Amino acid sequence: MHPNISKWWQTIKISWSKTLTYRVNFLMQIIGPALVFFFIKYNLWNSIYAGDESTVIAGYRFPEMITYHVWTLVVGLVGISNNSAGISEEIRLGKISSYLIYPFNFWEFHTASFLAFEVIQYLVASITLVILFYIGVLPDVSALHTVLGFIFCFFVACFWFSMQFIVGLIAFWLNETWSIRIILITLTSFLSGYLIPLELYPSWLTDILAYTPFPYLSFYPVKIFMGDTTHFFSGLAILIGWSFVSFFVGSLIFKKGVRLYTAAGM
Amino acid sequence: MCPISINMIETKKLRKSFKSFKKEPGVMGSVKSLFHREYITKNAVEDFDLSIETGEMVALLGPNGAGKTTLMKMFTGIIVPSDGEVLVAGHKPFLREKQFRKKVAIVMGQKSQLWWDLPAMDSFLLLQKYYEIPPKAFKKRLDLMNDILRVGDLLHVHMRKMSLGERMKMELIASLLHAPEVIFLDEPTIGLDVMAQENIRKFIHDYHAENKVTVVLTSHYMADVQALCKRLVLIFNGMKGFDGPIEKFEKILGHEKILSITSSEAIDLDHPLLANYSPTFSNKFRTVELKIPEDQLSEIGAQILQQLPIIDFSTEKLPIERVMKTLVECPDILLKDRSAP
Repeated sequence: MHPNISKWWQTIKISWSKTLTYRVNFLMQIIGPALVFFFIKYNLWNSIYAGDESTVIAGYRFPEMITYHVWTLVVGLVGISNNSAGISEEIRLGKISSYLIYPFNFWEFHTASFLAFEVIQYLVASITLVILFYIGVLPDVSALHTVLGFIFCFFVACFWFSMQFIVGLIAFWLNETWSIRIILITLTSFLSGYLIPLELYPSWLTDILAYTPFPYLSFYPVKIFMGDTTHFFSGLAILIGWSFVSFFVGSLIFKKGVRLYTAAGM
Repeated sequence: MCPISINMIETKKLRKSFKSFKKEPGVMGSVKSLFHREYITKNAVEDFDLSIETGEMVALLGPNGAGKTTLMKMFTGIIVPSDGEVLVAGHKPFLREKQFRKKVAIVMGQKSQLWWDLPAMDSFLLLQKYYEIPPKAFKKRLDLMNDILRVGDLLHVHMRKMSLGERMKMELIASLLHAPEVIFLDEPTIGLDVMAQENIRKFIHDYHAENKVTVVLTSHYMADVQALCKRLVLIFNGMKGFDGPIEKFEKILGHEKILSITSSEAIDLDHPLLANYSPTFSNKFRTVELKIPEDQLSEIGAQILQQLPIIDFSTEKLPIERVMKTLVECPDILLKDRSAP
């Protein structure tokens, strides 16, 4: 195996064993999002529709609305679940020093860990999907659209990871990036269609959102899962473009930030 | 013909300054600091010139906050110097080239570099890949270090479950697996019990003797320095205070030996034999410490043994500890020493 590939592969394997070290954490990672879905989203929309099958909200009947949210759950699991807390903490506590010394750098380590995390999340999402299908929450599933959706979600995850990497790097300048993380996550949840379908928003807002990457993080991938592949290729192109931009911005920020790094606490 | 000396570490006018802001205490101070901040720039390392030859083991000493760790961080490329030149193993460390990273290692007594959630062996295997160590060499080095440090049973234990001494052994192994050319040891024995300190010290000594690597060591334990290094570099407020052999350092305060004697009965304060050697009494006047010129030590020692009912007699084991203590309390001595012809 090429030495570089074996560095990445070993890091991925190590990330898996780290995830599996804490069994309760791992279990919570699997069932947490599904519980949130049931207790909040399902019950909320159940009360809004008040059991009336004929009510249509923004083009969605109750079962369709639930289907939409099941898919947001899946997109959330594989696409936008990675968080930057770890990156910030490593900078703030001076742990990044190790990656400045080892011949495998900070970005490589975190990207390899992200890939390892993605594999686990795909597994978790598949299990969740099978369970939801068997309990009847998800009536129609198309194998082709599921595969296309999962492919699309990988690019969502790549973009989200590079965004998270940038937010994590802000720790070079700020001691605490918690507020920025929350702002980004809240904004993304609203503007990507993760909380409610974008059809419920006024048209001027959706017109503006069309020029941002937000709808591609939840709304369009959900649509792909639900059978509408109109935006598959254009969406991929947009996500890849944004991922490149954020990758370059990230490496620029890293170069600037690392000059300020004092390795506090070392 | 002059012998060619190849320097492993070379610095010229090296400087690192840190900027921080002054904050008044309390909540009001925090609120004020939101609107107005007064910044202070402090030179952690200033005008630092240093040459360390390949294969040397040098101690870098100084009180807390003197700039030792800042220097170590600049040598390893963790932080970028503000000014001046630094060359380690022929590389500018702050460029962090992968070839450079393979030549250096750092062990920090106060900070673990290995992954806490993993057994040591998993970390070692990861480092094997990172440093591209051939499997045979990896096994050979690991077995060798395992033989000396006896960590066999611990290799499969999670790092977070190990004692400080055990963790330090693992950190040392991790740092040496790739056979670095230069090793930076930042307080490797801090917080360890006496036995563990001695084990680590012996390991470093033997490893250096066998592999002829360059070692830069910082420690607050003078026993480490005395046992391991021939040369000592002292740093005070970011500036070099002394650079030379330990023997010379020991003599900064004068060519005197400290002799401590304990008598079975109280010693006469004005005893004629002791009066000239600045006696300091303790233990109900039964113990006295004397400063005796080196060349008179055996003669005076013999006379004392003859004239007093001595039950204990010793010369100081770590003269550099006394010198360090005196210098920390009164750094001006160094300035005087340097201005002396």
